[in-house]
Amino acid sequence: MKKIDRICIVDDDSILVYGMKLMMNEVDFCEEVLEYSNGLDAIEGLASIVNDGEPLPLIIFLDLNMPIMDGWEFLDEFIKTPNYNLDNVSIYIISSSVDPRDREKANEYEIVKGYILKPVTTNDFSEIQEAIYKKVV
Amino acid sequence: MRTLAAKSLIEDIPISIAFFDSSFCFTASSTKWLSIFNIIDDDICGKALDTVMPEMVNVLKPLLIEGISGQIPEPNDYKITFSDGRTEWINLKVYKAENTAFEFGKIGVVAEVVTESKGRQELLIKAKKVARIGGWELDLLTNKIYWTDTTKQIHEVPADYVPDLEKGINFYKAGEDRDKITQLVSEAMCNGTPWDTELKIITAKGNEIWVRAKGEAQMVNGKCVRLYGTFQDIDSYRRIEAQYNSVNERLRIATGAAGIGIWEFDIQKNTLIWDDNMYELYGIQKEDFSGVLDAWEGSVHPEDKERCNREVEMAVNGVKEFNTEFRVVWPNNQVRFIKAESIVQRNPEGKPLRMVGVNWDITELINTKRQLIESDQSLEGAFENSSIGMALVSLEGKFVKVNQSVCNSLGYTEKELLNLTFQDITYPDDLEIDLNLLNQVIAGKRKSYQIEKRYFHKEGNLVTVILTVTAVKKINGELSHFISQIVDISASIDAKEKAKKLLDVTNKQNESLLNFAHIVSHNLRSHSANLSMLTDLILNNKVKRQEQQGAMLMLREAANSLGETIFHLNEVVQVKTDINEKLQELNLYTSIGNVEKNITELFREKNVDYTNLVPSNQKVIAVPAYLESILLNLFTNSIKYSDPSRRPSITISSNETDEFLEVLFQDNGLGINLEKYGQKLFGMYKTFHKHQDAKGIGLFITKNQIEAMGGRISVESEVGVGTCFSLFFKKP
Repeated sequence: MKKIDRICIVDDDSILVYGMKLMMNEVDFCEEVLEYSNGLDAIEGLASIVNDGEPLPLIIFLDLNMPIMDGWEFLDEFIKTPNYNLDNVSIYIISSSVDPRDREKANEYEIVKGYILKPVTTNDFSEIQEAIYKKVV
Repeated sequence: MRTLAAKSLIEDIPISIAFFDSSFCFTASSTKWLSIFNIIDDDICGKALDTVMPEMVNVLKPLLIEGISGQIPEPNDYKITFSDGRTEWINLKVYKAENTAFEFGKIGVVAEVVTESKGRQELLIKAKKVARIGGWELDLLTNKIYWTDTTKQIHEVPADYVPDLEKGINFYKAGEDRDKITQLVSEAMCNGTPWDTELKIITAKGNEIWVRAKGEAQMVNGKCVRLYGTFQDIDSYRRIEAQYNSVNERLRIATGAAGIGIWEFDIQKNTLIWDDNMYELYGIQKEDFSGVLDAWEGSVHPEDKERCNREVEMAVNGVKEFNTEFRVVWPNNQVRFIKAESIVQRNPEGKPLRMVGVNWDITELINTKRQLIESDQSLEGAFENSSIGMALVSLEGKFVKVNQSVCNSLGYTEKELLNLTFQDITYPDDLEIDLNLLNQVIAGKRKSYQIEKRYFHKEGNLVTVILTVTAVKKINGELSHFISQIVDISASIDAKEKAKKLLDVTNKQNESLLNFAHIVSHNLRSHSANLSMLTDLILNNKVKRQEQQGAMLMLREAANSLGETIFHLNEVVQVKTDINEKLQELNLYTSIGNVEKNITELFREKNVDYTNLVPSNQKVIAVPAYLESILLNLFTNSIKYSDPSRRPSITISSNETDEFLEVLFQDNGLGINLEKYGQKLFGMYKTFHKHQDAKGIGLFITKNQIEAMGGRISVESEVGVGTCFSLFFKKP
């Protein structure tokens, strides 16, 4: 199974980020993790990466509830950024919200490929790994 | 000398006498003659009649001429008008003087004043003429009949008509009348019995008239020698009498049919006369009482008797006529109401002679009136006190009568409404349908109608009512007016709208509750998810030894966060919406001061430039704990999000609006991008600053608290300049 180069986590919950990294490490998920604690940081960070001629991460794990700029705002901003090649980018929502409206809203975005309800488990990463693999093959 | 002696003898005779010679000169006169004729000259001998008594010439000279020529005239009465205007009747007798013992002259005249007796005679004749009484006389010896002029006039025969007994009898109407007079005349002739009767005659001109014939017989030695009497035209009297009788009969029939009793009270004799109707009115039999006064006394209701007697007395004394009402008790104890009207008749001196009056039964009238009053009163009561608005409206739409409910609903006084038409105060959009229906009622197509319509209240706002209009007809079937019943449903419409608003609020609250539930579950889940994730990692030995210490710290942090979240939620839940009883009047200036004291240290540390411009007596309606919590949150926010590049400045001021007291809380901090975050500013767990202390709970609670106190909060802000919160509180 091919290891994914670079993924991105946008979440203000440092505990979650720590846990996710542990689990990804376990399943040998990716080479590099980009971390942003809110939407605005992520928009700015990703822009600078693209600016440096580097590719966007294949996977973005996105929290919905964040200060400054929440997940929805990030999504809206991200997908309308010109010159972004989003064909290979998959966004997974990571949320503790069981509100069905959030899930429905998430489904409206083509780029959103999954909605992961906290707590995140190692299994979640294995499944994503498989899905990405299939897509690539 | 003889002559002289004789002359003086004449002078002293106590009768008025004068003598004349053949050339109409006085030869002698008595002193009385001079005084009767008012002759001043005391020696008239040898003087001419023309000179001494010019006013007598016309009368006396022909008599003297007759006397001198040897024809002594019959003594007669003459009406003489003297030069002083006095008129006297004087009887003049002429004598031949030649045969007397003394020769005083050719002719003597005796004068006697007969004015008084003549006057009486004249009056009698006049009276007879006025009364149309004629005389007649039948001399049975000569069988001649004599009629006076009036008798002839009554018979309508010419003045030269010569009657006889048979002709006279035949004037009487054939049959009953003629037989009667024939019998009476025969009886008088045989027995000398006088007659006085009223009979009909047919005059010569064929008119039938009533006459009163009176006759007496003069008997000589048991034999009738003469009949004489009077004959009076009583036709008009009989006709009046007949008319009176027929009127009287008609009155009797009328009063009998109408149940009107007639009575007459002789005040002098203290006697009372009733007609038959009276007994019927009093429900008694004539025979059961000794007299009418007894009947009256026995019948009048005991409670009314004294008053009636007093009223009779007042009528007699001329204070007030006896026009009254009283009750009578019938023998079967039935009580009847009697109406009495009467007048008192008096003699020319004003002395009361008698009272004449009528009674009639007004029991039915009284009962009907009473029922009418009762039903009127109950109707009036229903009309006045109805909670439904009621109005009588003329055919033109004018308010004729309105009750209090209408006034209350429309805001006008009764007087104001009575000067208006319903058209004046109907909302224009509703007028056409109302008028259409009303015209259908006027056209007789329907009796009533009901619509929901709107009126203008006096204040200008609309009043919605359910109007029911019913037509009222006069006895002749024409429309008289309308009765409008007006049920004010504005209140229920208002209530409906209030209920709708309440429903909206409830829906919003439900929605926010749902959001709140999701937020709660989200936040609690976040922490519990972290806890379970960490414990899972640790238990499954996924955490490297050297990282275990850090993982434990994270575990504690997650647990703390969970606790903190629960604390915040508790705080939010405690902001209750129904806190009216805790609201009180507070001094805003003092409240600000109290909060500021708690953070004096913080102010000093940050070197805050703080200004409180609120008037020291400014009052506000608030819950003390909420007010302090709000102020503290705003103070700490301002300090927390102050711009590190400049000295923090906070200014509080107030401003009264119509409804609220506006408190402006202004700082020169970082500012918020309202275009971006405006909608979320007061949301739960929303933060907009990259600040470690930002929890996103403070403004959410502030907003909830201020709204719970009936106020609101708004914000103006510019990034890099500062933020100004406007707090609206209820005014005392």
